[in-house]
Parts: sequence; structure tokens; C-alpha cells
Amino acid sequence: MLFNSLSFVVFLIVVLALYYAPLFNWKNKKRMLLLSSYVFYGLWNPPLILLLWISTMVDWTAGNKLMKEENQQKRKFWLLLSMFVNLGFLAFFKYGDFLLENFVVLMNTIGVEFHAQPMGIILPMGISFYTFQTMSYTIDIYKRKIKPANTFLDFTLYVTFFPQLVAGPIVRAKDLITQFYEPKKATINQFIWGLFSLTLGLFMKVVMADTLLSETSDTVFDSNKVLNFWDALAGTLAFSGQIFFDFAGYSTCAIGIALMLGIILPDNFKYPYASVGFSEFWKRWHISLSTWLRDYLYIPLGGSHNGLVITYVALMVTMLLGGLWHGAAWTFVVWGALHGTYLLLERTQKKFLPFKITAFNGFFLAILTYACINTTWVFFRAKDFVTAKNMVGSLLYLNPDGEKVLESFEIIKVFTVITILFLCHWFMRNTSVENVAKKAPSWLLGLVWAIMFVLIVIAQGSGEQFIYFQF
Amino acid sequence: MNLKQTLLIAIALSFIAIGSWETYWRSQGYYPGLEDDKDLWANQRAKVENTTKDDFVLLGSSRVLFDFQLNQWEAETGKRPIQLASAGTTPLPAFHDIVENTNYKGTIIVGVTPGLFFSTTYPLAMFWDRVQTRIDYYYNRTYAQRLNHKISIPLQNNFVFLTSDEEDWVDDLNLKTLVNNIKIGNRVASPMPEFYRFQDIYADRNVEMKYKAATDTAFANTIKKVWGFYGKQAQAHPPEKDATTAFFLKDLKKFKARGGNVILVRCPSSGGLRVGESIGLPRADFWDALVSQAKVPSYHFEDYEQFKNLECPEWSHLSAEDARKFTTELAKIMLNDGVITNSKTN
Repeated sequence: MLFNSLSFVVFLIVVLALYYAPLFNWKNKKRMLLLSSYVFYGLWNPPLILLLWISTMVDWTAGNKLMKEENQQKRKFWLLLSMFVNLGFLAFFKYGDFLLENFVVLMNTIGVEFHAQPMGIILPMGISFYTFQTMSYTIDIYKRKIKPANTFLDFTLYVTFFPQLVAGPIVRAKDLITQFYEPKKATINQFIWGLFSLTLGLFMKVVMADTLLSETSDTVFDSNKVLNFWDALAGTLAFSGQIFFDFAGYSTCAIGIALMLGIILPDNFKYPYASVGFSEFWKRWHISLSTWLRDYLYIPLGGSHNGLVITYVALMVTMLLGGLWHGAAWTFVVWGALHGTYLLLERTQKKFLPFKITAFNGFFLAILTYACINTTWVFFRAKDFVTAKNMVGSLLYLNPDGEKVLESFEIIKVFTVITILFLCHWFMRNTSVENVAKKAPSWLLGLVWAIMFVLIVIAQGSGEQFIYFQF
Repeated sequence: MNLKQTLLIAIALSFIAIGSWETYWRSQGYYPGLEDDKDLWANQRAKVENTTKDDFVLLGSSRVLFDFQLNQWEAETGKRPIQLASAGTTPLPAFHDIVENTNYKGTIIVGVTPGLFFSTTYPLAMFWDRVQTRIDYYYNRTYAQRLNHKISIPLQNNFVFLTSDEEDWVDDLNLKTLVNNIKIGNRVASPMPEFYRFQDIYADRNVEMKYKAATDTAFANTIKKVWGFYGKQAQAHPPEKDATTAFFLKDLKKFKARGGNVILVRCPSSGGLRVGESIGLPRADFWDALVSQAKVPSYHFEDYEQFKNLECPEWSHLSAEDARKFTTELAKIMLNDGVITNSKTN
């Protein structure tokens, strides 16, 4: 089920009614939330709930065994079992065809005649998110950082909680499971703010991403032509805006819906396009994934306390795998490699050429950072390397006679939206919507809220999927 | 900032704004109606799974959609046909789907619009892909998508501001279309003339030409320009007569072998479009050749006094009134010929 769909509106109203009606005690409310979460997921593809159950059962069992077991060998076994099942699911469902395709290429390269039909495996929605979430639970217990969930119900709800099940934020057990221990109820202000966040998230998705930017991005990246500079630039900027509004919109919806239930989810985006440098970007973009990769990959690989070479290797490996997490294609690996390279260069600059960042140079550095990040989006969005190469060529003004595929108004629209987006991020980088809203008069906030709602209604939307569902 | 006050202000302003928006578009002559979308098509396709030998399925392009009126057909034959024709598409993929994936052995009426029927068998070509997308959607639609559509029907039937369509008509009222209609300069040549909605569709996919299209010559001319655009495009893509015929005949053979009944129908066209069709896809070379190989009952509008002088207001489709006459007369002719039967009288 999609947040931007009519069925979800009905679903949410029913869930909220049952949650706040004096029908159930807290335990039964949790059962109701769990059942609702399965309905939320199952309305897409019921049999794939089985994968959720397997992941849940394996990590619940592994977590309990890890807590009780003292024998280090056996503890390792349970940890590896959890990782084998979760990563095995990912490898099969997400990377099965990719691995097969590359195996065929490798065989043919070394002269072995081998052909295989793609397996056409369906990608279970949200598998990258819930497998990472359950793995973090087991790893944290293995490291004795947390205790297992009090009850199976608490743990199952942690894995399946519908607001963040299919596209995050990837919540750590210590941040979410403990909230299920005591009865939760949103205050009036929390409920209204949750509703406002849901509206804001839907506005970002339906109006900004789907209505104003997606078509431009699709026209440019699907054109199969060598494009003019302005078309390539507008298409790239449009995609950078689209993916931000799409994904941050989902997270904002998830946070808002959870808040309406009295549950607090962590921020996942903090105005990333105003980042000064790439390490700051990763502290502001998809925060729950970047901190997951930091804690469960980068630090175990050596982190930053084992010398320069290990740091650089750990950083690059983390970013390459982070790229691959986003999709089973080499273009995503290049996207990760570019980010890894940026981070390495930034570390080198900070070590050998440090300089003070002021308000003045910070703005220009933020623009420079945003420009570099846009280059990476080309590889992220392009369907193949030929398209990416042509796009980069056009962006470097190497194709002055390239084709024009966008109307003048479309280009103006994209530049206007992206300029506003960038300035918003810059002025909001040290604050939050909530802080700004607190200082605003009620009539002004009410007006902004109404404008967003009316535009969502007029935009209608065609129930387009969130981009990150495919990851 | 008081959040309760904020919420009340937002609700009040939203009601006022949406109410005004709805009233404005109604004052501009819009009225509520359904979208001819993949959900509506999939709902009809699902009906094929529960049919008998007495049932009728309609396949083809927009001419079958506009020209076959379900009420009139039902009145003459006792059975309401399942309308699976799809605008701007070849009927071959849908026919193939029914032959291969169902046990249906009733009657299939296949509309032959030469420019579409003989266009291509290439799966990524627009005329093929448009209907194949709907077929795929029928098999892959999720329960959530079914539910969304069910909920959207009463909304579409009551609110004008929801006027929107997969066809992306220039007069749709969704925000994307309204924004896209803003033009500055002429950076990219846009050869596609503005294409206005000229149909009303109902839940069972019965389609009628809008009254305005049938009576307003200037409006009808905007649609004629679109046919002219497609006509010019077709010159660059010659018909694949042999491939399309062979594809159809293979499925036809299989369908006939299990007892199915196929009837070919060439619906009326007129004016410049008919002239263009006669030159580009001459009857003898295309329609007659197909009929001689298919060996199934076939009806060409030119062969019947009742239909010879029917005028299509925008050259390609009949007005709602003429479509009712056409359907009634055609059903009577078929009944007289004994190629179909009236399940009520039987």
C-alpha cells in the first residue's frame, strides 16, 4: 500500500479509530497494529509476508540465543545464521539476476560458452530496509549493546511497524522496541503535528516530485539522444530534486504517521543539499542508512582509528557496498565509488589543506558540493553507462549541438524549483520545520497547510511508487 | 502558534479552496465522469474468466469503443458484451491473451481499423504496448490497486476537478496538465496538435462521443488535426501486413479449434481520414485479403446501405446517436445472417 493512495487514507482512518477507541488494552492495540501492518504489506503481495515472517523468526530466535549463550563459537554461529538468512534473501531476491548476468559475462570473457535466462525474480517491497533493521537487532545483541525484546509481539511489531516498513527510516531496536513497552498515545499537539507532517510529506511526493519534476527527469534520462547542455542540466537537477522530495517525503510521512500513534521515529533527512562537504552530506541524507553503514560496516572494517590507508579502504568499501545496496547494477556501484572518492578527497584536503569555513565561503562550498552530488545522480538515474556518459559529456558542454528535448518553460520550472529548494535547505540547515512553525502565527501556518493540501488534491497523483521502494 | 487553531484554519481554507475550484470548472462546462484507465479495462477483462458460449467480447481500437453501444447490443442479442477495445491500439495482443490464457469459446468481435490492425507486431511499438500494458496490469494488479480504484469510482463520478485520464488530454484538470499547458517560446517543435477529450465512458466501458464533438465543428476539427498528425507519422512506418496477418491467423486457428467464434468488423470512417485509409491501406489489399484468409464472418460498413452514408463528425468515430443506430442495425444483420444468436429468444 502506498501513502499516496486512497486506500491508505481509508486504512489510516480505520487504524487510528481502532487505536484510539476504548476497545483494546495496550497489548491488543499492539496486536491490532501488527495485523494492520501485515494488511498494509499484504495488499501488495500477500505471499511475500512469508519472507517477513522468516526474517522475524530467525532474528527473534538468534537474539534470544545470543543473549543466553556464553560460548563464543555458538554465539558466532547464531550471528552468522541471522546474517546468512537476511543477506541470503537480499542476494537472491535483489541481486539474483545481477549475479547471474555477471557470471555469464565472466564465463564468456574467459572463453566458456555459457548462457542463462534471467530468473525474473520479483523484488519484495522494502526487503533492503527490513533486513537491515533486523540484522542491526541481532548484531547489537551479539555486541551486548542491547537486550532482546521483552516479548515476541514487541519484536514482531518492531520488524513490521507499517509507517516505516517499506522505505525506512531504518530504526534501531533500542530506539523503537522500547517505545512498545509502555502504552503510547499521542497528545493533541503531537497528533496535529503528525497530521501536518503527513501532509508535508505527501506534498513533497505528489506535488514536488511527481508533478513538477519527474516528467522532466524521465524525458531527459529516457531520451536515448545526446543532449544539449541545458537539457542535460535541467534533467539532472530535476532528478536531484525528485529523489529528495520523493524519499524525504516518504520519511516525513512515516514520521508523521508514527507520531499520530504516539511513536517517535528519528529524522532521516536534514536539508542535505545545503551540506558543506560530503561527510556533512552523509550526515544529512538518508541518515538512518548512513549511520547503519557506519556502525555495522565502516567501523568493523577499521573505521578512522587504524591509520590512513585502512580508513580510506574502509570508506571506499562502505560506499561501494552502499551504492550496491541501492540497486543491482554497476551504475549504482559507480555512484557509490564517486561518493567514496569525494569523501577521500575531502579527508585529504582537511588533513593537508585545512581552511576555515565562514558564512561567505560556506555558501559557495555548499553550491560546489551540490554540483558534485548532482554528477553522482547522473549515474544513479541513468539506465546504462552510455546514457551516463552522454549526460556527463553534455553537462561538460562537450555536445554543443546536442538535441533539445525540453520546452523553455520546463527548464525555467526546474531551475525555479531547484533554486527555491537549495535556498530552503541553506536557510533551514541549522533549524527544523517544527522550530520555524513554532515562531509562525497560526493563520500563516494554517494557510501554508491548506495550500499544500489543496495542491495535493488538485495534483491527484496517479499513485506512483516511491523511488526507494525499488531498493 | 496554536496547533488546534492552525488545523481549523487549514480545514476551513481547504474546503473553501476546493469548493471554489470545483465550482469554477463546472461553470466552464465540465461535468464529472470516469477515466478510461487500466483498472476499468482490467475489471472487464476479469469478466472473461466467467463467461459462457453465449457471451460476446469486443476487441479493437477506439472505433469499437465509440461505435458499439452496449445497451443496443444487449437489447438485440440478450447479452451485454464485454468491452475490451482500447483506444489507439491493435487488437492482436488482447486477442492473443484471450486465446492463450482463457478457456473462452464464445464470440469475439474484432474491430479492424486498418492503420492499427496491420501496424506492427513489435511489442514495444506504441499501438501494441498501450494495450499490452493493460493486459499485464490485469495479471499483476495488487489488492491495494483494486481497492484504490473501487474508492476512486464514486469520487470520479462526483467531482469535476478529478477530470484526468491516462490519455493525457490537454483539457485534463490535474495539476501536471495545467502546468504543462503553460508554454513559453517554441524551443522544441511539438508536432502533436492539442488533443481534447471527446468521449464519456461508463463503468462497463460503454463509450459515447461527447455532444460537443458531435455538434461543434470547430471542436471536431481539433480532433481531425490529430488524425492528420498520426496519418503523417504512419507514412514513416509502413504497415506490417504479412506479420500482423500471420500473427492473427495463428491465434484464430487455435480459437476456432476450441469452438470459438470470431467476427471481423470494419467500422465507419469518413472525410479525409477515409480517403487517407483508402490510399494508404486499400481495402482489396488489406481488409479483403484478411477476410479471405480468416474465413470468418466479416462486415465492412461500405457493403451495407444502412451504413454507407454514416458521417463521423471527426472522421473516425460515430456520434452517440449514430452509434446506437449502427449497433442495432449491425446486430440485426448478424442475427439475420445467423452468425450470432439471441440468447433470450433461444
